[in-house]
Amino acid sequence: MSGGVVTGGWSFVVAAYAVTAAVFLIYGVTLIARLRDEERRSQ
Amino acid sequence: MKRAFPLGVALFAVAVYCGLIVTAGEQYLHADLSLGIPTGIRTLTAFLAGLAAVILFLGGDDLTDSSKPKILLGIGVAFILIGSYFGLFVAPPEQYMGETQRIMYVHVPTAWFALLAMTIAFVSAIVFLFRTDFKWDARMEGSIETGVVFAFLLCCQGAIWAKPTWGVWWDWDPRLTTTAVLLFAFVGILALRKFVDDPVKRGIWSAVATIIAFVDVPIVYFSVKWWNSLHQQQSSPDTVSKPFWIPLRANAFGILLLMTAFIMLRARISALRLKHELAPPPLAEAQLGEVV
Repeated sequence: MSGGVVTGGWSFVVAAYAVTAAVFLIYGVTLIARLRDEERRSQ
Repeated sequence: MKRAFPLGVALFAVAVYCGLIVTAGEQYLHADLSLGIPTGIRTLTAFLAGLAAVILFLGGDDLTDSSKPKILLGIGVAFILIGSYFGLFVAPPEQYMGETQRIMYVHVPTAWFALLAMTIAFVSAIVFLFRTDFKWDARMEGSIETGVVFAFLLCCQGAIWAKPTWGVWWDWDPRLTTTAVLLFAFVGILALRKFVDDPVKRGIWSAVATIIAFVDVPIVYFSVKWWNSLHQQQSSPDTVSKPFWIPLRANAFGILLLMTAFIMLRARISALRLKHELAPPPLAEAQLGEVV
């Protein structure tokens, strides 16, 4: 922070986008895997 | 019902045209694609058409086909990639928050759609209580779990943004506190569903709990207006500079489709689990065969 202006901060930006991508990817993959299991079980 | 999905896609295209294409045309092609429609009306049309598309996608889904949510997932990812490219490399840094403001392009849509997912859970809970149709119980479970994932992500993104701007990862400010309460309340409902074996009791109890927990959703939204909060107030198209519109809106459309697809996929899992739960055990079937 310098004179009321946030300076730098790219590492936080990268971290926020990485966390977002990771959460969406992991949740999406687990959903599709769980769905496949349930579809196999119901056949 | 068969026409719900294509109609939803058409409405979503209208929302994207009004909310994104016209702005992109103005900024990057210097072309007026507005068809003479004022900005305020276009923004309202984008909002209502997007919402109607989600209602059609979810309401028209009979929970038997998993290809439609996968299509929405693919389109949603494409929007997020475009929005993130503009957010990280094209949009200028903000005057006071500098580069950290780029976090807003993922944080703000995540907040919107965490609250929307919990609102869908609330509506599904009410419809389930009135109709006792287990499709709505499946939609309720799908939207609760999606809402929890989005609310958890929201808290992580918020903490990462808070550290360089506020100097702390977390503050017990009204917006953050009410969001944490919302997250734990809906996690509690998912836990409740795990502990109840009877599908009818599970549906009714979790629907009632969802309606009670939903009370916190408007409190989260209005907390920044009702209390003197460290968290800034909501922005509107009038208070956001135009160079920030493209990444924010592209990510918003993408995350909206992701939320919808996640709810549809999770609801289908719930519906299949219920079918398995209600199926007679193999022994009973064999005994029935002997009697017949």
